[in-house]
Amino acid sequence: MMPEPTGVIHDIGYRHYEGARLGRGNAFMALALHSLRGAFGFGRTARAKIMPLLLVTIMLLPAVVSIAVMALVKQPAMRYHEYAVIMQAVLAIFLAAQAPYLVAPDLRFRVLPLYLSRPVGVLDYLGAKLAAMSVAMFLVLALPLTLLFAGELLVDLPGPPKTGEYFASMGGAVILAVLLASLGLALASFTPRRGLGVASVIAFYLFTSAVTAVFFGVLMSMGEDAAAKWSMMVSPFFLVDSVQVALFGTDPSNGEGYPPGLWSCVILLAVIAVALSGLVLRYRKAASS
Amino acid sequence: MNAVVADITYRAMLGRKRIWLLALLPAALIGMAALLRLIGGPDEHTAVTLMQTFSIGTMLPLLGLIAGTGVIAPEIEDGTIMHLLAKPISRPVIALTKFAVAASLVAVFGALSTFVAAFLLIRDESGVAYGFTLGALVGGVAYAAVFMLVGVLTRHAVTVGVIYALVWEGLVGGYVPGARSLSIQQWAQSIADRISSSAFLTSNVSLGFAVPAMIIVTVGALVWAGQRLRSLSLTGDE
Repeated sequence: MMPEPTGVIHDIGYRHYEGARLGRGNAFMALALHSLRGAFGFGRTARAKIMPLLLVTIMLLPAVVSIAVMALVKQPAMRYHEYAVIMQAVLAIFLAAQAPYLVAPDLRFRVLPLYLSRPVGVLDYLGAKLAAMSVAMFLVLALPLTLLFAGELLVDLPGPPKTGEYFASMGGAVILAVLLASLGLALASFTPRRGLGVASVIAFYLFTSAVTAVFFGVLMSMGEDAAAKWSMMVSPFFLVDSVQVALFGTDPSNGEGYPPGLWSCVILLAVIAVALSGLVLRYRKAASS
Repeated sequence: MNAVVADITYRAMLGRKRIWLLALLPAALIGMAALLRLIGGPDEHTAVTLMQTFSIGTMLPLLGLIAGTGVIAPEIEDGTIMHLLAKPISRPVIALTKFAVAASLVAVFGALSTFVAAFLLIRDESGVAYGFTLGALVGGVAYAAVFMLVGVLTRHAVTVGVIYALVWEGLVGGYVPGARSLSIQQWAQSIADRISSSAFLTSNVSLGFAVPAMIIVTVGALVWAGQRLRSLSLTGDE
């Protein structure tokens, strides 16, 4: 005969959650916001804040100098549409430093299943990370552009303000942010180590710029101008600049112009598609392991 | 030098994905040389441009960065360096061994591919191939030493190294002529210029400055890294 059960359930004060369940959309927003804050070092250690804030400051420097020049000699110094191309090294370093932070720790410590046990799916997770990285890249570029525009309005140069050029460059900034974020996350997600991720993103940037420089120089000296202009499409920054030229009619920032037509937009979409499918394939595999 | 440490480091460097980063860039260099030969522009000017912008200007700093930080930074990052430091091997010897591994990798992948690419383009015309090979070899060794030191000094070694290579040598060196005399890239070019008689190659730094500077930087970085390893603290961040 079984003895009488003697167990007692003590009430030690654990509570059920009785608030509203916020669901998938809120989880997405929370993850995106957390990643965006992390990209600028907020919510991380003091040392993690140094690099992003330093890079943002460097990005702002030409705008500040340019406003000073405008105020002193009443002439426009830095143009809006060439800001991204001139500051491309800083943008690339920001991407290389922050994209691995967004994806590498979750892969390295294998916490992806914890996310996926919630209403967040693989695509939600990737979408949130991609949105965070894109918004971060956009802010890094849009902040100096907007500062420059505000400066131009305040200094009140002779002639109408270049509002059209400013908005065209902001459009270009959105495109550049999405392209860089997809490329950066795709490259960074292939390794769980942050150092290696930084190295692969920066290697990609240096490689594409060097290929562009070599082929552009050689083809121009051979007199093959059309082919030389096509070789500019290898660099992400010049690719976006050519899209900006094609869509918004700004001046080309490479001094030579780009191949005519909307081919640059096709190439842009193809590159983004390849990067995103690489990213999705990588995470399908990571989620199942 | 310690053979066991060297063996383990080689296996760590070549057994992981890092070998792809090490092998891809040299392969791209040779591929570009072949492509340039195909489209019919294999003159001396093309070869010097390719060597300057791609080989010395892009591939060498990246290889130095990957190899230099790769031999030691991951071990410090995940704390397994403790097992190595607890062994009765002097710390400067560990630093020297790790450096030797990094330098040999940069020499094989960097200098060899530079020679193959230059030879593919213009054979041994005016010594361009030999000059850049020696430049890449010496420059790669200096990069390996400096980036290994950075890897010992900070957790963000790769980012710091990238900023040196990209901002200092690329951006600042492009506008401020004085910054060029403190750049490993320019020292490597001086050596290439000394051996090659090509008219398209001019160096910004005199050889009398470049060679001593290269030796001081390499040896100094090695000694500093060895000293630093003696008092390495492993407090984690993030």
